[in-house]
Order: sequence, then structure tokens, then C-alpha cells
Amino acid sequence: MAKKVLEIKNLTKKYGKFIAVDQINFSVDQGEVFGLLGENGAGKTTTLEMIEGLRKPTSGEIQVLGLSINKDLSEIKEKIGVQLQSSAYYSHLKLYEILELFGSFYEKHVDIDELLRSVDLFEKKNSYVGKLSGGQQQRFSIIASLINDPDLVFLDEPTTGLDPVARRNLWEIIVKIKKQGKSIILTTHYMEEAEKLCDRIAIMDNGKILKNGPVNELIREVAYPYRVDFVSKKVTTEVREKLTSCCGEILNPAGKDNYFELNIKTKANLNKAINIIQKIHPDNLSIGEANLEDLFIELTGKDIREDKGGKNA
Amino acid sequence: MLKLIQLNLKMLFRQRQSLFWSLAFPIMFTLIFGFFFGGEETSVGTISVINKSETKLANRIETTLTDSDVFKIRETENIEEAEGLIETNDIVSVIYIPEDFGALSPESPKEIDVYLDPGNLTSNQVITAFLGNMLTGANFKVQNVEPIFSINEVSSTSNELTYFEFVLVGLIGLALMNSSVQGIAITMSKYREDQILKRLVTTPIKPWRFVFAEVLSRLVVNIIQITVILAIGVYGFGANITGSLWLTVVFALISAFLFQLLGFVVASFSKNADAAQGMSMTITIPMMFLAGVFFPIDQLPEWLLSVVEWLPLAPLLRMLRAVMLEAKSPFLDPINMIIVITWIVVAAAISIYRFKLTDE
Repeated sequence: MAKKVLEIKNLTKKYGKFIAVDQINFSVDQGEVFGLLGENGAGKTTTLEMIEGLRKPTSGEIQVLGLSINKDLSEIKEKIGVQLQSSAYYSHLKLYEILELFGSFYEKHVDIDELLRSVDLFEKKNSYVGKLSGGQQQRFSIIASLINDPDLVFLDEPTTGLDPVARRNLWEIIVKIKKQGKSIILTTHYMEEAEKLCDRIAIMDNGKILKNGPVNELIREVAYPYRVDFVSKKVTTEVREKLTSCCGEILNPAGKDNYFELNIKTKANLNKAINIIQKIHPDNLSIGEANLEDLFIELTGKDIREDKGGKNA
Repeated sequence: MLKLIQLNLKMLFRQRQSLFWSLAFPIMFTLIFGFFFGGEETSVGTISVINKSETKLANRIETTLTDSDVFKIRETENIEEAEGLIETNDIVSVIYIPEDFGALSPESPKEIDVYLDPGNLTSNQVITAFLGNMLTGANFKVQNVEPIFSINEVSSTSNELTYFEFVLVGLIGLALMNSSVQGIAITMSKYREDQILKRLVTTPIKPWRFVFAEVLSRLVVNIIQITVILAIGVYGFGANITGSLWLTVVFALISAFLFQLLGFVVASFSKNADAAQGMSMTITIPMMFLAGVFFPIDQLPEWLLSVVEWLPLAPLLRMLRAVMLEAKSPFLDPINMIIVITWIVVAAAISIYRFKLTDE
């Protein structure tokens, strides 16, 4: 059984009558990437900040690397790396000076040049943070959290606001960190990101964890694991009736002409639907499996689109 | 922590604009006051002496006036020309000694005409007092009377203080106050806005170490400020520092420390850097004009004085002047020390209670 690097029990955070985090429980295994998913205001950042020692829990227990957050916070800080959501760095220090400074706070720290090279920022070591692009700033922010060679790394929405190329760049870095044997806790509201990077996830909404487990297993629990969409002008009443009887309601969520979508519960029904559709020679047919976004919508009734952006707890 | 101090200093010196203003502003003031009031010159203005008399008394008055450091002399041919020079503000006064003034005959004139510019009150007072004293002495001599009562001037210090020296100490206090209150308040608020403080809390560094490094590195900049202002005052304009230079620096740094604490108090309450700037100026500007930087606070109306003397800059400047210009013990007037210590304790208590690196 894998060693637990983080254990959360009945963690609650209240601000007056408002409950930001409500009795949540989860654990993170050594070497895994654990994702906290939720839309803005779901309680992800508040949860993370309680674990990092930035906020005091109202109640509950937090064990980080086998140490209690209440008693051993200094020791915990030596062993964790933190990348805050939208944190800036000293604007009048150069990149290597910031790393030097942060390195000086820890008992051990890694080679700065090596760290800069690992994210292709070595050439920029004498630059100021303000001179970097958004993607470079986030890369720097991540390596700044690795200066003490931490066992557990917290990344709070590391790719928010980045363009797709920069985002994929950052994913590669996160994978590299994982390969070094470090455990990562990642918050995100990008479903694709969580699906690609995380071994396990917890879906949060209104301060509660709605589902928690390995990504693939959770997706399999979706009520409609298969989806078929097709474009055809030959969908007669007879075809409609056949499809409806085997697969349920035919959808056209985007309201496009001659576009049809089916959410299907079983593999047998999927095969039946494909047979029916192929007989009318559709202009376009695509078959897909449910993904994390489907699960998220099913659980929360909310649709997180990438353009929602924004940053908060 | 050494690394933090070292890099803090780097940051302070890289912020060229704020460094420029923290040094340039006091330097500019020192130069302005130095040019107006500094140097050996103690002249109260330029006068013209027209002496039409050949008597011993008239010649003595003329010589005394022309040899005095108190006045600069401008030669004029006649009273019309001299009056024209008063009107054009080239001279402040004309002293006209009429023909035969000083002769003891009954017909000879008994008065000297002094033409004054009503706009130059200080010069007028000095000139009339100067001439009045001379003529009183002459009257005693003519009447063969020895004065019985006189003034024995005893200075409380070993040297005469000039206005420039008074202001020089005020400018040191002003520079320390502005750079410390505003520097800390704005920087800390900006760090909080940018979540730098929060990021620091996630590391093992103790908050007091961070604060200590910040204070210490700013004190280094303060030492540079004090040195530059003193150097300009002493070497540029001949200010006479009779007290201990070390004690001066120690008390200047105590002042800077108190103002840094006030900066932390401002940062505790301000929501962002803009608010911090406004709040700092609300604190520093009244002190700049009222707490004894440019003129002695004793000249203030009594009701205002009763408020101003409790503000931190007023007792700090009194102590600095005592230490620096009068070579006195700063403890001679314990009330100043008590006010300063009270401010330090109160500001430290508020900062410790209110100033947080994180939201909670």
C-alpha cells in the first residue's frame, strides 16, 4: 500500500455563517498527482491554503508527510513546495536572485542553474520577473516552489490564463516533477488538464467533495459513458423512433441543422445505435466515451468552460 | 537572514526613482536652505551709508557700519539714488548722516535719517537697534555718564546656532520620516497586494526575521541619507556640529526606527499601496510643517503647540538638536525621551497586533 503524503479528515472552514469548506476527507499517495477540481469559489484554494498553513481550519485534521499541521508546521514547510494562485515575486530581483533568496529560507536547496535549465529559463537568469511572458512566469513560479527539493508540491491553478501552447508546456513540467518521485496536489478548473495529469481527483462544489477517486474509475461511473454524434439530412421519423427506443432522447444541444447527439448507457446500445445510423449514411459520425467534463456536469449540474477563467477560492 | 538583508539592499538601490526621491528631496532642501541661510555670512541685507558730516562721531558710525558683518554696503552718490535702490529692492535701507551731525554746537543736526523698506521687517529691526545702541553710547559719552544697568548675554550653548543649522537637523528628521513611513507602508502594502508576504509564509522563514531584515536594510539607506545631508551642510555651507556625531547617528536611527514602525502601522490598515501612500502623507505632511522642521514649534499658537509637541517628530528633533548642535545629553529633558519611547511602544504593539503577512 502506497505511503500517504497527505491525509485530510473532516476539514471545515467557516467564515461566520458561510461554510467555505465543509467536512471534507481525502488522502494523497506518495508519487501521485492529485487534482482538486471545481469551479471558482468551490473551496479548492481555501482547502489548499489550510494545508499550506496559510489559513487556520475551523475544525478537522490535516497530516502532511506524517506530520501534524498544528504541531509541526515549521518542519512541514521545510518539506513542501508551494506555488500560489497569482502570486508575484519581487519585481526588483533577478530570477536567480529570487531563487537564491528562497533557497536561503530552507535547510537544503537544489542547484539554481539546474533548476532554471529544467524549464528553459537559464538564459533568463539575469532577467526580472516582469520581463517574462505569462508562460515563463508560471514556469518560474513552479521552479521557485521546487527550490527546497520538496516531497510534496502544491500547484494552485498553475495554467489559468495561459495560452494552449504554454499550458501544454507546463503540463510537461508537471509530468517531469512527478517522474522525480514527488507528490503533487493540483487545483484546476480545466477538465482536460485534470484528466491528462491527475492520477486521482476530488470534485469540489460549494465546499464539499462530491466524488473522489482515480480519474478512469470515476469516468466509468458516469450514467452515460458513451456519446454518439452525427450529421445527416436523412433522419426520418422511423429512424428517430428506432434510435429513441434503443438509446433514449435524441439531443441537439447546439441547435445546429441536421445535427444529432445521443448519450448512451451500455456498449450493446452503442452498437445498436451505430448500426441504425450507418444505414442512413451520415455525413459525419463520431463516437466518443464520456470524459471528466461529463462527470463534472452530471455531478454539479454546472458546465465549466475554459473561457470562464477567473481566479478565486 | 543575511541573504535577505543583502537582497533587500539590492532592491532598494535598484528602485532608482524612490532612491532618488529619498535622497534628492532632502538634498534639494538642504541646498536651498544652505544657499539662503548657510555659510559664514550673517548679513541681514545691503544698506547704503551717506555721510555728509566730517565729525568724529559721524565717521565712527560710518566705519562701524561698513566694517560690520551684519550689513553689506553699497556705495551711493546721493539720497535720491539710494531711495531709488530701495524701491528696486537692491538695498534694504539708507542711513543718511547730515552735515555737521556729531558736532556739539546747538545748531548742528541731532538726528540721523534712516530710510527703510517697510517690507523688510527683520532688517529694519536690526538696523534701528544697531544705530540706537551706537547713539545711546554716544549720548552717554557726551553727557559723561557711565551706564549703570546693562545686559549680560549668556548663551546656553558654546556656539551661536544659525538658522541653517536649525533647519539642517529638521531636514534630517524630515528625510528619515518621509523615507521610513512611506517606504515601509507602501512596500509592505505592495508586497501584500502581490501575495509576496503570503508566499513567504509558506516557507520556513520566521516572520520576525523578514521584518527585521526589512528594517535593518532600510536603516542602512537612512545612514546614507544622514551622511549625505550632513556632508552638504557641514562641508558645503559651514554648519557647525559641536555634538557627538555618533550620538547624532544613533538618535537619527532611533527616529528612523520609530517612523518605520509607523510605516508598519499604516501598512496594517491600508488595503493597497495607493491607500498606503495617501495614509502616509496624511501622517507626514502635518508633521513636516508643524513639528519643528523649518521653525521652532514655540512660535506656534498655544493650542496648536499643545498638540504638536506630542507628535513623534517634535521630541525627536528636540533631542537631535540637543545632541548634534548643543552637545547636550539627550536625557536632559526626559519628557522628549518619554514621548518617543511611548510612540515606539504603541506603534510596535499596533504593528505586532495588526500587521499580518497573511489574510488570517
